[in-house]
Amino acid sequence: MKKKVVSILLATSMVATFAGCGSDPAPAAEAPAAEEAPAAEEEAPEAETPAAEEEAPAADDGAASGDLAYSGNISIMHFSTSEESEGNGGSDGFRTCLANWQNEHGSITLDEEVLANDDYKTQIATRAAADDLPDVFLLQGMNTISWAGQGLVYDLTDSIKNSPYAGDYNMDYLVPFTADGKYYAYPALTGGTCTVVIYDEAMWKEAGFDSFPTTWADVEKAAEYFSGQGIDTIAFGNSGQWQMNSCFVSCLGYQYTGTQWFSDIIAGTGNFEAPEFVAALTETQRLFHDTNIFNKDFNAVSNEDAREYYISGDAAAFIGGNWDASYIQATLEGDPKKDTTKFAVLPQAADATKYEKFQNIGLGYGMAISAKAASDPDKLAACIDLCQYLTGPAFSEYVGANYALAGFCSSDVDLSAFDQYTQDFYNFSYVDNKGCEIYDSYVDGSVWSVLNTEMQEMVNGDKDPATVAADTQAAYKAYLGQ
Amino acid sequence: MLKSIKPKKWVVAAYLAVPVALYVFTVFAPLVAALFYSFFEWKGGPVKTFNGFANYAQLFSDEVFWSSFWHNIFLVIVCIIGQIGLAFIVVLLINSKVTKLQGIHRTFGFFPSTISAVCIGFIWQMIYDSKRGLLNYFLEKIGRGDLQKVWLNEPRLVMLLVSIPLIWQFIGYYMVILLSAVSSISTEVLESAEIDGATGIQRARYIVLPLIKNTLLVCITLCVAGNMKAFDNIYVMTSGGPGYSSMVMAMYGYKVSFEQSNLGYGSCISVGIFVLALAVIGGSQILMNYFMTDSYDRQEAKHLKQIEKERKQAIKARKANR
Repeated sequence: MKKKVVSILLATSMVATFAGCGSDPAPAAEAPAAEEAPAAEEEAPEAETPAAEEEAPAADDGAASGDLAYSGNISIMHFSTSEESEGNGGSDGFRTCLANWQNEHGSITLDEEVLANDDYKTQIATRAAADDLPDVFLLQGMNTISWAGQGLVYDLTDSIKNSPYAGDYNMDYLVPFTADGKYYAYPALTGGTCTVVIYDEAMWKEAGFDSFPTTWADVEKAAEYFSGQGIDTIAFGNSGQWQMNSCFVSCLGYQYTGTQWFSDIIAGTGNFEAPEFVAALTETQRLFHDTNIFNKDFNAVSNEDAREYYISGDAAAFIGGNWDASYIQATLEGDPKKDTTKFAVLPQAADATKYEKFQNIGLGYGMAISAKAASDPDKLAACIDLCQYLTGPAFSEYVGANYALAGFCSSDVDLSAFDQYTQDFYNFSYVDNKGCEIYDSYVDGSVWSVLNTEMQEMVNGDKDPATVAADTQAAYKAYLGQ
Repeated sequence: MLKSIKPKKWVVAAYLAVPVALYVFTVFAPLVAALFYSFFEWKGGPVKTFNGFANYAQLFSDEVFWSSFWHNIFLVIVCIIGQIGLAFIVVLLINSKVTKLQGIHRTFGFFPSTISAVCIGFIWQMIYDSKRGLLNYFLEKIGRGDLQKVWLNEPRLVMLLVSIPLIWQFIGYYMVILLSAVSSISTEVLESAEIDGATGIQRARYIVLPLIKNTLLVCITLCVAGNMKAFDNIYVMTSGGPGYSSMVMAMYGYKVSFEQSNLGYGSCISVGIFVLALAVIGGSQILMNYFMTDSYDRQEAKHLKQIEKERKQAIKARKANR
């Protein structure tokens, strides 16, 4: 009998190995591919990046405090990899400022974990689940309420209000990092649009449009011309599923709902089944499924693939975010196409009534401090100093001077020092258009995961918008604990 | 074994301690932990609320989970046929007398199974690419441009399309296992059958298959277990899309756990995967035993069972008479 029990146990454990955690006939390949940058854990960044040499801020320029009582280690986790920082002003500025702060504070050692963005999201969620967050890390807006509610992140309200740079802060950027009226992070990196139409002015002139149309009806007319040329009118990539939300619906939705609907969603009193939001989804479905405006493979290619269609001239326009604009600028360097590349907001939907030239802009991540790090007052002071430096004037001046970008802290940008492309994009992002919220900087991943996945079916015509809205509402209610 | 060279019990125990500890740590501990957490509402972080069987109740009515399960079953069936079935045919071809350069065939056949699943996902993504992919290029070249599609955006085809790279990758793996089993069959048996006039198909069906039955069972177990937890190359190619069309259980568990930060329900899904994988593996072995045993053997086994039953009854009756 004993033998039988032992043999059953052993057999079960063997099967468990096959089924769950054990040897796989497949070669090991656990890590999913990162979309933005190759997965890499890196050493601490060097301050001497080419851009840093140009306009690197002195560490004491903006450091909140040169004298810190703390000496020891501070663990920090972020996703500004060296690959990411090439051509990406926010990442470059972050790495440069981090290296400068480290140089200035020799008695403190920064233990850095640098991961590609996709890996970072998984890793930080796992660390939060294990209550093992690093001392300082980048908090994604959508996690604020949940993590604050669990006591994982330190309340930074007083430190932000009493910061030496408080007068220069753009307080609107704090909204995603607010829970119960308290601030839990210093908005980090650069404020960039998530929805921008990047188009080739010369190609659209050939189609009879001096600039990008302001209505979808005109875009449909242009699509007839471009289809005849064998060119896609607008390239879009949604294989990662988040793009339809962050780079399209998040902006088109405001044309239908205005600002109040999403404010209610953030407050926990909203309704995804509201007719105006369903109308936005219906229009999205119509545009992608019933017209020939977009590339047919929009659901099978990523935004990186889609922007290549634009760069190679296979598409007359592309819809993406500020990161795509930076990439296209770097890739088209020396190409005449760069001079004819312009920016526009999403065209107006015919039945939408709340049009105000919206583009969704914000800071999706903020520098947060683990609640555990706050147990040592000296360490906490050092962490706060680090957060203030990385989001303060030193950072803003660096990205303003080198990339014409803006961060949490306002800074003057001398646009005349930049090429036309950069000037145009600066004006598009910060001057010419009204900003709206990026949906997935708020609420919770459990809600967006349902919406993003089901929208992929919806734009194929396999699911109706009302069902998508109902399923999202169910996920929203579950998130609210109703 | 001679007493002088037989290791002492504590030596054996010491040698076993490390692998057993590793095994317990990497296999049992996660399983037990997943089972424990599956009874909690846990959205990440230190706060966990015990909710009894609520997660399991949700799992039973979760349409996405069950559609993912059927996608896994589809993968298992297609891969058993595609991976092991084709591997068996390839083995017979390589073992045939007319095949030259057998070593090269073996090496190159095995080669795909050494490539990372993520790389394979990318390679096949390029093949299926609608604008620059080989498949659509080929269709255009043979004058069937009308058949061109955005392949990975076809909900009805996508599961088959993501299965093909898996089949391609593992044919070589099973080929090597089956090759070693087939090589152990005495050539005299096969030659005798040939002299008796058995065709190649008859030799494969009536001699080779029964003699490698146990190896086939191992292959099928590995194939079922591997495909019940398929994840990596599907994640690269479609992320489970469009929508949930190529969602498999492991990916759904990952999405729920990390995209939705619902670790309690994610743990429940992991337990569900474990239980269903056990059931499918057990079921497949029963089926295999049934199909791999011919009717004569089945009758013989039945007959022996009957004799044993009668013997026991006779003993019982004799005891009762006393």
